[in-house]
Amino acid sequence: MTYALPVLVFVMVALATAQALRRAAWWRQGAAAEVAWGPGLLALPRRYLVDVHHVVARDAYASRMHAVVAGGLIVATVLAGLAILPSLGGSRLYWAIVALAFGVTAAGSLLVGARRYPAKPRRLSGGRFQILPFLLLAYALGGLAGALLLALGAASTPALIAALALSGVGGLGLAYEVRRGPMRHAVAGALHLVAHPRPGRFRSRLDTALAPLDLDAARLGAETPADFTWNRLLSYDSCIQCGRCETACPAFAAGQPLNPKRLIQDLVAGMTADEPPYAGSPYPNAREVDPPAAPLARLIGPDARIHPDTLWACTTCRACVEECPMMIEHVDAIVSLRRNETMEFARPPEKAADILSDLRGAGEPGGRALSARTDFAAGLDLPVISARGEADVLLWLGEGAYDLRYGRTLRALVRLMRDAGVDFAVLGAEERDTGDLARRLGDEATYQQLARANVETLGRYRFGRIVTADPHALHALRNEYRVFGGEWTVVHHTALLLELIEAGRLKPGVLGGLSVTYHDPCYLGRYNGETEAPRKVLDLIGASRVEMARSGRRSMCCGGGGGAPISDVAGDRRIPDIRMGQAIETGAAVVAVACPTCTAMLEGVTGVRPDVKDIAELLLASMELGA
Amino acid sequence: MKIVVLLSAGAHPVSSAPVLPRLEAQALRLALALGETTGLHAGPSAAPAADALGHGLGLLTHLATREGDDPIPALVAALKAETPDLVLAGRRGQGGEETGLAPYAVAAALGVTIVADAVALAPGAAPGSLVVEQALPKGARRRLVVRLPALVTVHPGAPAPGAYAYGVARRGRVDTIWGVAGSAAEPNPIAVEERPYRPRPKLMRSAPGTGSAAERLAAATGGMASSGANVLVQPTPDEAARAILEHLRRIGVLAPAVANKPAA
Ligand code: SF4
Ligand code: SF4
Repeated sequence: MTYALPVLVFVMVALATAQALRRAAWWRQGAAAEVAWGPGLLALPRRYLVDVHHVVARDAYASRMHAVVAGGLIVATVLAGLAILPSLGGSRLYWAIVALAFGVTAAGSLLVGARRYPAKPRRLSGGRFQILPFLLLAYALGGLAGALLLALGAASTPALIAALALSGVGGLGLAYEVRRGPMRHAVAGALHLVAHPRPGRFRSRLDTALAPLDLDAARLGAETPADFTWNRLLSYDSCIQCGRCETACPAFAAGQPLNPKRLIQDLVAGMTADEPPYAGSPYPNAREVDPPAAPLARLIGPDARIHPDTLWACTTCRACVEECPMMIEHVDAIVSLRRNETMEFARPPEKAADILSDLRGAGEPGGRALSARTDFAAGLDLPVISARGEADVLLWLGEGAYDLRYGRTLRALVRLMRDAGVDFAVLGAEERDTGDLARRLGDEATYQQLARANVETLGRYRFGRIVTADPHALHALRNEYRVFGGEWTVVHHTALLLELIEAGRLKPGVLGGLSVTYHDPCYLGRYNGETEAPRKVLDLIGASRVEMARSGRRSMCCGGGGGAPISDVAGDRRIPDIRMGQAIETGAAVVAVACPTCTAMLEGVTGVRPDVKDIAELLLASMELGA
Repeated sequence: MKIVVLLSAGAHPVSSAPVLPRLEAQALRLALALGETTGLHAGPSAAPAADALGHGLGLLTHLATREGDDPIPALVAALKAETPDLVLAGRRGQGGEETGLAPYAVAAALGVTIVADAVALAPGAAPGSLVVEQALPKGARRRLVVRLPALVTVHPGAPAPGAYAYGVARRGRVDTIWGVAGSAAEPNPIAVEERPYRPRPKLMRSAPGTGSAAERLAAATGGMASSGANVLVQPTPDEAARAILEHLRRIGVLAPAVANKPAA
């Protein structure tokens, strides 16, 4: 009987392997992808222990729970399997150690259960996940009893048989779940960490640029699950339905029909015909869809699995990606689906058609004259680079320049740069839109046309670096233009202002006692990891800084990215209202911003609320006060 | 129904980059919803008209004429050979070389009816007929039933154009027909001066200088007074003449009506 437990372990492993292989056949339906297996395998422990842990640890309970239950499960199973060696299987001390490991697993199972019973938090999925604690507990308690009996030398008693039977039910249940149940996350998750589509994330943690699309590909973007690369299908299978993405998602919070967790599960369910029904929070206020039962069908459409409203509600804020412990790339998936809708089916959001056509025809989403971009600076005498050929700093104005409100921010920035004696110039009428909006709306063709044109324009001039006050432009110029041949040093205006203050070229005054809360733009904080410079500037002008509950890399979106204001999908609330509510909670008198889109979204909030001021405006105000 | 949409080489109204005129994209949307559609362009290059492929056009026939040629004979010859039931065009040109007269010239040469300013099209109850909803000033609409073949021009009030899609454009095809005999366009008898467009403030002749902002706005825009469009449906000639006279007096073209003078 000492061999019964190890034999059970081998049967479990065999079953789990068989189930995983059946699943792997589905992953292989995906498109080909280049995966660096060697480096991936070598990096696996680090990716798991450092990168995954970094995210998991944000929820202390979940982190402890997972360490105990997963650690216990693996150690107990390996040890029980090793008991096949006669020298170990005969040792009562060894069985005592095995019993200890199963005991730890049992304790972990109780933690898993305690989170779900009597009531589970809304963000967790039910269904098969509710059975998981019982399977774990059965396996662990059976193993514990069996190992204890063997440690006490009581081989081949009916009690031992009962213990093994209990353990068998739990263990085989867990192994069976590897194909379609919660335990899939363990196998898929480990493989996903090895074959991650963005391995760069693990080193710099800032691999956020969208990959360019081959415009000659037979099919543009993803229409069915099979259009995703196989390692992305694998990544969607690693989802443990923890709902952290859902909690972070601004569109979900606003009651728009988007839930990133459900979206990933829809991609998974679209792969096969026999996925168990989804048992988590729905897409809020979603319209009815009529999904076809056949696997690998079209994913988007009123008659498909995902309604277009869901696809277009996303602001591409990456909060879901930031929170996902399984390192899933939701935004990449959404953009792939959008590319297909926009370019193959001509179905961008309704209001986007004219905007995209003006971007193609006039290089500007509003169809305005490029020469009008500098109109905000009337009387400021902006130097234009074509008249000089070179400058230390090329100031990229961006779309905000056409906006009256944001023009004030740019005027403040220009005055500050003048005061500091920065040698700068603008492109003037040669500056086109970066194409960020077109790209996020899935129109990669227009984006690439604009990117190439901008790279060509910039290549004609000599400048030290590019400064911009628009984080979306910053992200495009710094990260996404690289593949089109644009390699420049690109600096956000807040970083430049901090540098000028620290170099003594700007002498900030003191806005004593002004309480300010800073709203991190997604494309600066999450996409580019820059959260400190604006805060330091605020500290240097003597503002008393208070933080919102969500700030820095985990900040909440203003609702303005990804073309969401154009899609304008209906919800219960508006995202900027929610964000402004969080700012009001801090009691601050001013919300400091650093992005034209955030400025427009937050300024659009009605009612009594804090003022919205750009970092540049606050700095200039402090200097005028000091002067 | 066999439909041909006339496509021109337009220019973007602001950037003057070559684009498909918006009106023609609207015409295309109406056409695609109605029946089997092809596009027709006569000119030296197919480039901007080929954008129509991205709006769902399957086939563009490009009649390659020489630079400076009059496109009308080429278009008329092609349409005579093709014998479409319906020809659609924009109501005006959107580019340097166009006068907006092409639809009229083509219709005259083909000897077919022309209906201007359509905002909606539907097949008529009788075979070979078409129901055209026509835009009239002040938002009024008129429904006409037209016997085909006909040429219809499209008004900006028609449904907004569908989105341009790169992938859709890839699936379309341009057939270029070379060596189309053309005649050099006659030189324009009127000297034309070209100046950049400059928006001018609208003259508000009737706006009073005093009163609240709301009153002045109401006065300037016609306010409540014009809330009913002055459309007379099948008026008698007498009624119609009175309405026109009254309007001309109101806007100051004619002197105010003189009260019936007593005989001197
Ligand atoms: S996608 Fe990631 S964060 Fe969202 S439920 Fe799945 S594992 Fe959790
Ligand atoms: S990117 Fe932002 S809006 Fe889009 S699904 Fe993720 S959290 Fe939601």
